[in-house]
Amino acid sequence: MSTSAAVATAAPAEQYNYDIVKKFSIMALVWGVLGMLAGVYIASELAWPFLNFNTPEITFGRLRPVHTTLVIFGFGGSALFATSYYIVQRTCQARLWGGKWLPEFTFWGWQVGVGGGAILYMLGFTQGREYAEFVWQLDLAITVVWVAYFLVFTMTLRNRSQPHIYVANWFFMSFILAVALLHIFNNLAVPVSITSLHSYSLFSGVQDAMTQWWYGHNAVGFFLTAAFLGMMYYFVPKQAGRPVYSYRLSIVHFWALSFLYMWAGTHHLHWTAIPDWTSTLAATFSILLLLPSWGGMINGIMTLSGAWEKLRTDPIMLFLITALAFYGMSTFEGPMMSLKSVNALSHYTDWTVGHVHSGALGWVAMVSMGSMYHMVPRLWGTTIYSLKLIYVHFWLATIGIVLYIASLWVAGIGQGLMLRAFDEYGNLAYTFIETVTFMHLPYVVRAIGGMFFLAGMLLMVYNLYMTIVGARRTVGVNAPAAAVAHG
Amino acid sequence: MSTNNTSKEVETTGHVWDGDLREYSNPLPSWWLWTFYGTIVFSLIYWVLYPTWPIGNDFTKGIKTIEVKDEQGKVIYDGHWNTRALLLDEMRNSPAALRQKEGIEMVKNASYEQILASPEMMSFARSMAKGLFGDYCAACHGTGGQGVLPYFPNLADDDWLWGGKVENIQKAITSGLKGNMPGFPTIQGQALDDLALYVLSLSGEKVDAAAAERGKKGYAMCMGCHGADGKGNAMLGAPNLTDKVWTVANVPGAGSIEGMKQEITNVIHKGIKREMPAFGHRLKDYEIKMLTVYVHEMGGGK
Repeated sequence: MSTSAAVATAAPAEQYNYDIVKKFSIMALVWGVLGMLAGVYIASELAWPFLNFNTPEITFGRLRPVHTTLVIFGFGGSALFATSYYIVQRTCQARLWGGKWLPEFTFWGWQVGVGGGAILYMLGFTQGREYAEFVWQLDLAITVVWVAYFLVFTMTLRNRSQPHIYVANWFFMSFILAVALLHIFNNLAVPVSITSLHSYSLFSGVQDAMTQWWYGHNAVGFFLTAAFLGMMYYFVPKQAGRPVYSYRLSIVHFWALSFLYMWAGTHHLHWTAIPDWTSTLAATFSILLLLPSWGGMINGIMTLSGAWEKLRTDPIMLFLITALAFYGMSTFEGPMMSLKSVNALSHYTDWTVGHVHSGALGWVAMVSMGSMYHMVPRLWGTTIYSLKLIYVHFWLATIGIVLYIASLWVAGIGQGLMLRAFDEYGNLAYTFIETVTFMHLPYVVRAIGGMFFLAGMLLMVYNLYMTIVGARRTVGVNAPAAAVAHG
Repeated sequence: MSTNNTSKEVETTGHVWDGDLREYSNPLPSWWLWTFYGTIVFSLIYWVLYPTWPIGNDFTKGIKTIEVKDEQGKVIYDGHWNTRALLLDEMRNSPAALRQKEGIEMVKNASYEQILASPEMMSFARSMAKGLFGDYCAACHGTGGQGVLPYFPNLADDDWLWGGKVENIQKAITSGLKGNMPGFPTIQGQALDDLALYVLSLSGEKVDAAAAERGKKGYAMCMGCHGADGKGNAMLGAPNLTDKVWTVANVPGAGSIEGMKQEITNVIHKGIKREMPAFGHRLKDYEIKMLTVYVHEMGGGK
């Protein structure tokens, strides 16, 4: 053990491919800023519609997939590539497989896919499938990139110099396999012609809707949950300097999560023209998912048990643990909303949008931010530029999330109640437009919440930029010492 | 390789990664395990009650049943629970549906005179038509019926292009309307200006009397629809030009006589086509009836 620790810290630059991790980290920041900016803009358009400026390219309908693609696949995806490449190398004590060029190919392929997709959406080219709007040519390209990612990751695992595979890598593995499956089946389509950007889905009607939401929900399950749990399983114990709470819990909740998630997607289609049995199955499997989801939260938070004082002294820990708390909250809210009676109120309202963001901002973004604050200084062999700015970022992000979620609870539940209210004559009490008028104020608060979150993100970019610039200035003076101290 | 942790009794699994990553061999938290079992029991109960598992081309129906009766109390569905039957039941037998049915029964066969004279029927009409108006009419005519120049006439004033009697309004909603004023591009220059000033004089605007007098000759072309006295013709939807209500030209917003004249010459020159779609095939008879009295009341009716 002592020898392996020494190897890990002595010469990371030679042993591991950090270059690719750095590239993905920087792009995660770039896409994060652009994607959150798009989010703030479309949230503002809903509150103040004049912001459309009668320009098709920047209307809500076109910018919305730009926002989701940039934050999920650009920011989240790049953060996952970066951390998974970092973690698999360090926990296997093996250099990334594929030489210089295969990992490099995954980097450029992914960036071109995300950027190309976003530009095409603004020009009006989309498959019209939520979270899978990429035109068919990009779908094919992404598939090739993903196969390369799979090869790099599994071959590195095979080359490990450790007898066991660390838990974080199980989650990354299931993420890579499940996303491959989801991406391929949901995007099966017949192109209009070989030169056309348009295509027709292979499925139709109820089958089409169910395939789409099998994809959509498991994109949440395996991309935004399992993969980020992988991130959590490395950075939480690392940052806390303590062992993971329970090995057994990690096994049980991993397999339960992997098995149960695949059944739950149809809850997105409650109260539509789907067979009732599909609806029931989806609702119960969503309820069954509650505790396996919480397994990850318990394992993360309890890792800190006995060292709670770190929450007072370490803002990075604050990010990671708060992320887990939001994860626990949104994985409780999700199963509740998948019950048909609750769903009858929440469906087609902004409650759903608020729920997604409590997971996306609270869990995915915050765990990524905590991980980046831990990882970036180590990649460049230095220390963070300012701990104080991390605190400020933490509070900006937390206030932003609370404003966002609370305002959309009001908007969503309010609209849901208005849409189903009857007057004393049994007629509908409100017209649709009255519900829209009602939502104006919550929409304004939501946009302000988004601005808070974006401001925090910009602060993070500044902090990490200064960290990296500082590291470059001191190269050759005290970099080796810093590398040893923080390896 | 095994490591003792000083702060806890629990052992780790003995595996170490990346220098210091270890895992405790803590058991599953018992509250976690029992709550998980609880969700399994919940699901099992749910599966027994409701349609759940596909088997071949069929599925398990569940033991919960649902019975739906029609107005005469005859059972029209009696079988396993499903959302379709639930909807059927709710649309027929929910408290709101029953209340609404009562109101519909009340107004369905009543004449317009009876409805207009009955405060009870009128408040039901207002309640029902508010939603109908908001969903079907407000997109063009505005939530208050105030309209938008030049295409969507104001319904809240007492000026009725096509007649303000309930029969006129019902016909408009049921069959739609097509309003067409042709353009007169051949009228130009001084003649056009004079004609516009004459039209303005009809509603009492203070214009150059001599010019208006000259314009009167050109007005001969307009009489066919707007009438010799300029009072319009509800049969054709031709507006009354002698009141101060303008449905196409934005005269009140023009500010000056010159601006008003410009508004009028534009309409004479280009004409205007307006169309209101028919709702006869989209709304039920009693819905059109309720909308009719609602719109009638909105503009003070005739």
